[in-house]
Amino acid sequence: MKNRLRILRAERDWSQAELSDKLEVSRQTVNAIETGRYDPSLPLAFRIARLFGQRIEEIFQD
Amino acid sequence: MQQPNEGVWKSMRTGTAGLAWFFSYYAVRAAIESPERFATPTLIAIVLLPVLPAGIFLYLFITDMRRKDELQRRIQLEALALAYPLILLLIMTLGLLQLVVELNPDDWSYRHLGPFVILFYVLGLWLSTRRYR
Repeated sequence: MKNRLRILRAERDWSQAELSDKLEVSRQTVNAIETGRYDPSLPLAFRIARLFGQRIEEIFQD
Repeated sequence: MQQPNEGVWKSMRTGTAGLAWFFSYYAVRAAIESPERFATPTLIAIVLLPVLPAGIFLYLFITDMRRKDELQRRIQLEALALAYPLILLLIMTLGLLQLVVELNPDDWSYRHLGPFVILFYVLGLWLSTRRYR
């Protein structure tokens, strides 16, 4: 699954560590999502969408 | 999610409990080196002593797992998913070998399986961590 997490993070000038703190996950998890190696669970996808003020499908695409 | 320092401290606590379990095993091995010094009920009690640090380790390990995030839990699951069948395969193979060949208990017995359990788990952990890096 593709996603725009890295772009959204870069737009806000956040580091992976800062984003992981905001999402309450490890930096490894943020990195794995950004590189497409791991698809987040629905609750985490909702947290990501809320944090960036966007809908899930605007961040994650098939 | 736990804070990084808190996570390190808790992992160290679990690791210490694991080491206590490990050393208790060798302490028991040393104590029963001359079994004639003890009566059988005492020997059984001594042999069961590592159950206590093992129980503490298990409790801390599971508590640690519950605090991990979803990817870290998946990595642990994948590590165990690899280690469990491998150790089962080793036990079954040794069992079958025992039926056809006389295995020297000083070379191959239940007590030799422990290091393989740890080895297979660490191998699984390494492979899974690499996958999500």
